[in-house]
Amino acid sequence: MIANVAAYPSDPLVILGIWVALFLMLAIYSYPLYKENPVYRFAEHIFVATALAIGIIVNLTSLRNSAWTPLVGGNYLLIIPIILGFCMYFLLIPKQRWVSRYPIAILVGSSLGLGIASNPLPSIITQVISTITAPKAGTAVWAWFPGSPTGDWFSFVFVAVGLICSMTYFLLTYEHTGPVKPVTIAGRYFIMLALGAYFGNTVLFRFSMLAERGQYILRVLGLVPY
Amino acid sequence: MSGQTIWDKLARMDRRVFYWILFICLTVPYMTPLGLPITVTPSTRSYYDGLKTIQPGEVVLLSINSGVSAWGDCLPAMVASVYQVHEQGGKLIVWSIGYNDCDITWARIKTLLATNVFTDWVEGEDYVYFGYCPGQETNVALLRDNIRGVYTKDVRGVATDDIPLMEDINDASKIKFVMSSDTGDAQIYYIRQWKNGPVNYVGSGQPPLVAEMGIAMNKSGDMVYYLSGDEFGLVAGSRGAAELEALVGLKGNATITMDSISVSHVLLVLAIILANVGMFATRGQKK
Repeated sequence: MIANVAAYPSDPLVILGIWVALFLMLAIYSYPLYKENPVYRFAEHIFVATALAIGIIVNLTSLRNSAWTPLVGGNYLLIIPIILGFCMYFLLIPKQRWVSRYPIAILVGSSLGLGIASNPLPSIITQVISTITAPKAGTAVWAWFPGSPTGDWFSFVFVAVGLICSMTYFLLTYEHTGPVKPVTIAGRYFIMLALGAYFGNTVLFRFSMLAERGQYILRVLGLVPY
Repeated sequence: MSGQTIWDKLARMDRRVFYWILFICLTVPYMTPLGLPITVTPSTRSYYDGLKTIQPGEVVLLSINSGVSAWGDCLPAMVASVYQVHEQGGKLIVWSIGYNDCDITWARIKTLLATNVFTDWVEGEDYVYFGYCPGQETNVALLRDNIRGVYTKDVRGVATDDIPLMEDINDASKIKFVMSSDTGDAQIYYIRQWKNGPVNYVGSGQPPLVAEMGIAMNKSGDMVYYLSGDEFGLVAGSRGAAELEALVGLKGNATITMDSISVSHVLLVLAIILANVGMFATRGQKK
């Protein structure tokens, strides 16, 4: 297996950059690890201002490349989205705020149109087909049963039972009593199980972010390969 | 404070103490690796199998939809994927529809693969980097039919028409598949607009397939698309990336990080057990 690490920077400006980044990172972490303090607020303000500045530059660059340059090159239809974009700024003038509703309406309408036209297939039809289709060999999602028929069928039955129970839990047109009661209780447990998996994955992601930052400290200090 | 049990003291412990313990436990394994074994899950295996189908000259897309803050989870999988695309002789288009800090991410990928990949890859011929463009799903829909309508030039300022790699490419039909690195749901945009695109899809041949290499938090949500076949592979978080690194034979940051992640999880599980034991031990003491 090939080891994949970069060499420690030799450019003085890059070295300065990574040390400034380290200082700002520790300044931000001083809030949860110590308490709110002026160094934290300083770093926070720098972060907000820098993010805003980068956002403005990136969006203006994008506007120039995808709208302004083609417009002056002869694609005059692009004047329409540019005008609509400017109309958004009427949000800042209370009496003329109604003007901004037109670009917002077009934005929401186009996004809805795109979503509605293309959503049923992957989000509903394919999902239903996938749920009611019997497993084929070698499609197990359980790491401890890779490719085994046992794992495939266990997954299939588990999903089927979980789906029926969870959907029954959300059927509110009748009282959950009698034979339906245990099904809805099971549905609640299935939902809790799913939410637990979501939460577990969320924790994994947050730890991963924190670990990466911890590693960054060590990399800058030269304690581990850069 | 007499009469306090150990559970009362633990319950009143400043949470910052736990933060410090966690922070230290996360960093120590980087200096003293434990080398815990990593097993490969079927979803990562499918992703790798997809990468192995790339024929020399075929073009794939890397869509960077994750920010610098998610490097821990997202960067290693991107690095391993680019490495494998190079190994297969494929060509790469890179852009971002999600984060405007993608330049830093791409620069880091290039730094990490400077000796393995970018010594013989020529920009414009073997790969092209277009940078960030806002617009989200609307943008993806437009890119499906007219890449030049969104990206008139790459980040170097070279017109898209003058880039050799883009000579015959202006829509999604010439792209074999999409590798989407996400902290959100951009991969679903590609599934909706590219893979299952509407009837006015102008490309010829097969629409591109989609694969996801997102943060671990997305795994539960992405698994439904993987199981239904809308994603041919799924690399979830640093764990998935470590599996991918093992498969492509490139020991990168995910493999190094897994020890740290494992230690932190042990710590968290211990904290949960301790808190539950404490809760049961002190139950009924206070009214």
